[in-house]
Amino acid sequence: MRLRAWGTVAQGAAVWALALALAWSLPGALWRPVPPPPFPVHALLPAVLALGALALAAPLLAWLGGPDLATRRPLALLEAPPDLLWAGVLLACWPAAWGPPGQGGWLVAFLAAALPGEVRWLSAALPGEVPFPAAWGSEVVRRARRLALARLVSRWLAARLPIWLTASLVLERMLGVPGLGMDWMERVAGRDRAGLAAWVAALALLWLLSRSLEVEAVA
Amino acid sequence: MKWRLVFLLALVLPDLPLDPFHGGLAASLWHPLGVDDLGRDALLRLLLAGARSVGFASACALLALGLALLLAWRGRRWRGALSALRSLPPVLFLLPLAAALGGIGIAALLLLLGLLLAPHLEPPLRVKLDTIRRSPAWAAERTLGATPASTLRRWGPWALDQAAVLFPSAWLGALWGEATLSTLGLGPGPSHDSLGRLLLEQLPRLATDPSPLGWGALVVVLGLAWSASKPPAEKRTALSRG
Repeated sequence: MRLRAWGTVAQGAAVWALALALAWSLPGALWRPVPPPPFPVHALLPAVLALGALALAAPLLAWLGGPDLATRRPLALLEAPPDLLWAGVLLACWPAAWGPPGQGGWLVAFLAAALPGEVRWLSAALPGEVPFPAAWGSEVVRRARRLALARLVSRWLAARLPIWLTASLVLERMLGVPGLGMDWMERVAGRDRAGLAAWVAALALLWLLSRSLEVEAVA
Repeated sequence: MKWRLVFLLALVLPDLPLDPFHGGLAASLWHPLGVDDLGRDALLRLLLAGARSVGFASACALLALGLALLLAWRGRRWRGALSALRSLPPVLFLLPLAAALGGIGIAALLLLLGLLLAPHLEPPLRVKLDTIRRSPAWAAERTLGATPASTLRRWGPWALDQAAVLFPSAWLGALWGEATLSTLGLGPGPSHDSLGRLLLEQLPRLATDPSPLGWGALVVVLGLAWSASKPPAEKRTALSRG
């Protein structure tokens, strides 16, 4: 069993090593070399706030709605439009007198784009409630949901963090807000191979840390 | 699923001719959504771009589902590699590639998106296939000496039905993947008109300089999202019974 776990880690490590090699060997060069962009430290706080809001709101809504929420069509409809459409709708509705949407608008668009999908992810992962614990009353149902969500949340965070980074990139680009996603893109444009490799290494570390949670889910 | 496959034909349709001397016309009886800056009828452009995007997404979803079915069937030993591939954000992976190659052509994008979507579709398919593999019917077939060909003949239609349930999510993933890359300026070149290019052009103008084409593109995208969010038939039946 332990040997098999090491085997899966070795396979994953090979994939990440390949990604690292690709980042290091990114072809092309700038006509006029420029220093690599500094890491956007100022974007860390908004990103942490956005992730914190998502990490609180999604489990709360899943707890309130339960597993039935996963089959609701309105939620599926909210989940279907891509992040770029939410950014476009925000731009269309944003009053010009208020100036550019900025970080506040970005946070609204990010939550609108990410929240429905995450609530559905969590609701779909909750165990069924019919006939039990539904027959034991609403208090037991709420407690069962809370216990299930407590086990799910860390795995959910580890599995979805890279996806949120992608959503963030599109929204940052459309709303003109510099952030973590734009940092990736600027490093690609500036051929900052070391910076890209550091990003890949960070994602690989995140994957490695989430391995124990995935093994638990499989077992 | 089937009506979306009809749009595969749109991949071979020719481009619209340009008429820059008659560009920027307002909506009229002959041009219900007006004419864009290059003199192309906006309604025709919207229909062609929408059909092409739907055709592209259908082809990509078919490829991804085929691969996912293969991985769910035979890819058990590659579980670690698949888990790592699922952790790679597809757009972040495609960005350096597009930058290195100076843009990704439509055929290469179809192949890449299919390859990147397949690991995400594999776990739900594997769960369904594992349920069958642990059933007494499966064990009885093995005991009676079923060959791979007979297994495929018996279970193939069932496996295709299971994959078809996942088609809308694969389709949406491909549709938005292409639109996102176009929005970031890294999709197929300007010769390939798509919903992504239309959104890129029109969405930022909606607040200040709205055009019927922009609103039309928005309605088409919301319509596609609505059609893909429909729950599968058996679920609706179960819900209506409940």
